[in-house]
Amino acid sequence: MKTIVLSLIALAALIGLSGCSNLGQVNAWEKGNLAKPQMTFEGDPLDQRFVQHTYGSKENSSGGYGVGGGGCGCN
Amino acid sequence: MTPKNHPKPTPATSSVLLASLVLPGLAALAAFSPMLASAESAPEQTTIAIKYSTYQDSQPGLDRVSVSAPQIYVQAPIAGNWSVEASAVSDSVSGASPRWHTQVSGASRMSDERKAGDLKFTRYLSRAAISGSVAISNEHDYASRALGLDARWSTDDNNRTWTVGYGTSSDRIDTTYREGNTTAVDQHKRTHEIMGGVTQVLTPTDLVQFNLTRSAGSGYYDDPYKMQDKRPDQRNTWIALARWNHYVDAYDASLRSSYRYYTDTFGVQSHTAGVEWVQPVGRWTFTPGARYYSQSAASFYVDPVFNANGTYDLGATFMAANAQTYKSFDQRLSAFGAVTLSLKVAYAITPHTSVDVKVEDYQQKAALHLGGSGSPGLDAFNARFMQVGLTHRF
Amino acid sequence: MKPWRTLCIEFSAMASPCSVQMDGQDEHAMRQAATEAVAEVQRIEKKYSRYLKDSVIGRINAAAGGQFFAVDEETRGLLDFAQSLWTLSEGLFDCTSGVLRHAWDFKTGQLPESKKLKEMRALVGWEKVSRDADLVQLRHPGMELDFGGFGKEYAADRAAAVLLRHGFAHALVNLGGDLHALGARALPELQGQPWQIEITHPRPEQVQAGVPLAQLPLSRGGLATSGDYERYFIKDGVRYCHVLNPLTGWPVSHWQSVSVLAANTTTSGALATIAMLKGEHAIEWLNTQDVHYLAVQHDGQLLRSAAAHSLKARP
Repeated sequence: MKTIVLSLIALAALIGLSGCSNLGQVNAWEKGNLAKPQMTFEGDPLDQRFVQHTYGSKENSSGGYGVGGGGCGCN
Repeated sequence: MTPKNHPKPTPATSSVLLASLVLPGLAALAAFSPMLASAESAPEQTTIAIKYSTYQDSQPGLDRVSVSAPQIYVQAPIAGNWSVEASAVSDSVSGASPRWHTQVSGASRMSDERKAGDLKFTRYLSRAAISGSVAISNEHDYASRALGLDARWSTDDNNRTWTVGYGTSSDRIDTTYREGNTTAVDQHKRTHEIMGGVTQVLTPTDLVQFNLTRSAGSGYYDDPYKMQDKRPDQRNTWIALARWNHYVDAYDASLRSSYRYYTDTFGVQSHTAGVEWVQPVGRWTFTPGARYYSQSAASFYVDPVFNANGTYDLGATFMAANAQTYKSFDQRLSAFGAVTLSLKVAYAITPHTSVDVKVEDYQQKAALHLGGSGSPGLDAFNARFMQVGLTHRF
Repeated sequence: MKPWRTLCIEFSAMASPCSVQMDGQDEHAMRQAATEAVAEVQRIEKKYSRYLKDSVIGRINAAAGGQFFAVDEETRGLLDFAQSLWTLSEGLFDCTSGVLRHAWDFKTGQLPESKKLKEMRALVGWEKVSRDADLVQLRHPGMELDFGGFGKEYAADRAAAVLLRHGFAHALVNLGGDLHALGARALPELQGQPWQIEITHPRPEQVQAGVPLAQLPLSRGGLATSGDYERYFIKDGVRYCHVLNPLTGWPVSHWQSVSVLAANTTTSGALATIAMLKGEHAIEWLNTQDVHYLAVQHDGQLLRSAAAHSLKARP
């Protein structure tokens, strides 16, 4: 399972990065696609709040995405 | 009529833009400043979203916990350079609390309500933003107050953004509301966390992000409703998160992947890997996703002890626990793996309003643990998440 | 609930391909607004074209060396603007420099006869224009007024103002490359994305066919480009373009193209032209104007404004 997941990530990374020579030097006028809603990291705020909160109560890891969220009695 | 000859001219203004405003009709247009992608700016619109989320989990032979949580969220720009975000949720939890060591039918039904809210203010500067937030959560036996402060700033070319954040929370645990249960009376827990991160535009189609979080907490960590549960009064954690968003031009879609590594002083180490494909189709957006989670057991987790004929030996298990300073039978501290499959469908009714539905299927079992050998003797459990939401911008 | 649609009207004006594009729900209202916007562009062309004898410009030019000519409020405003540009550019942007085209023949690619050029240069100079309230006079016969330096851009702004007046805030007016964007796209599936604009590469023979200099996601504002590739000829390896310095009578050569993004297209166009004329001092001057710009130097080097710092051309 682990090897499959890591291989998929590595493969995706290779496909994604194979065509570029100027990593990190992107001009403002090329960022049209990056501004699209499907490219945000945070996504739907309420969706993530609920999901992360629930995972935090069923598993022992929580956090890593931001600071300032409080605790709860579910874990 | 005397012609006026113009002497060496002195302009009333040195700005061509201001000069152009004398032209009829142009003043109305000049109310707006031209928009080129800027690093940090307050949102242009106000967003209101409501969501109804439910969660139902089950273990073989027993429906466990069900949660229903209506939520509301608002984000609004204030006075040009500020924005405010607020959300509130009211969780209703009911059902059987997780059976510890699933062999013992020690399930007791309970119901609880949690009300929580948070408020965040952000101040935008030309290349940076600073936010302050406060969060409050209340349940019958648990109250939490948290504060957060974070800042982010971008390089001139907007290709890299640094973030730094600090958070602190103060929790109070008191079980006396429940028929005089005096396991935990006025107990406290305090945590501090700091986070540093960087987001980098790698190519016109790739964004990556790295975050590192360190937290230190001290106080009451025991689960007051479980027997033989005594945990250390301190827990420090390290969390490393990496995320990658890749835009796929051929489908106008994006592939979002993330990996989080977690380790704490309870001895738990975990890996969380997630991937999502966001596919817009006209007014629809389909987002199938998958998540894999694996954690190791806490150092003080007590495995169930089985006797010679393979049946659970309660006495021996208790004796094993007694031999430890810190101990817990909590399944959540065991070693296991979990897989989630999700699908979210969103539809834009108008340019300002959209609805969304998300369904997730979660399976947690010891056998899914990375490497295959999770904690023995525990039943798997299954959970279903469902969320329905409405978002409106104006 | 009426569906959202995009309306695109293409037309020809000021010797250029033009279009008005808008997102809206009421098709009838959109057509009406767009038709009015196009009519506004045609009105301005008819009123200020130097090629039409009975346009305002035509008649002012015909009266050169003679009587004062009374103008209306709109023309007065444009004359004031021309005056401001002349002073702000320290004489480089001059609406009387149109006569120089009689000396320069870009069609046949001939260098001017020195006698003819001298004759024409004598007729150039805003200081030779007399103004008194709503009266204007070109003091020497043969002098010509020409609003070509900002006419098309002004028309783009006016057309946008028409659309705005009709309540359409998600539109793009494009008059031969001079653009005014009123607001981002409004179709539900586009969710507030900007209009995607391509800036023409000044040396298309040096890059792959159809590859633009840069792609700009534009939500609001006016964008205009001035370049040495619109009308020019090359003789003995030297490029002579149509942007003529009024003080010397000769074309400028420092920039291949300058694109400016400002709050309105009139400003963008004026700044782009002045930048072309200012040569090596253009960048310094543009920086005082608080606008976004992208300039391609004679050697292909790219310079850009601090706000859009990472602008880069395809090599």
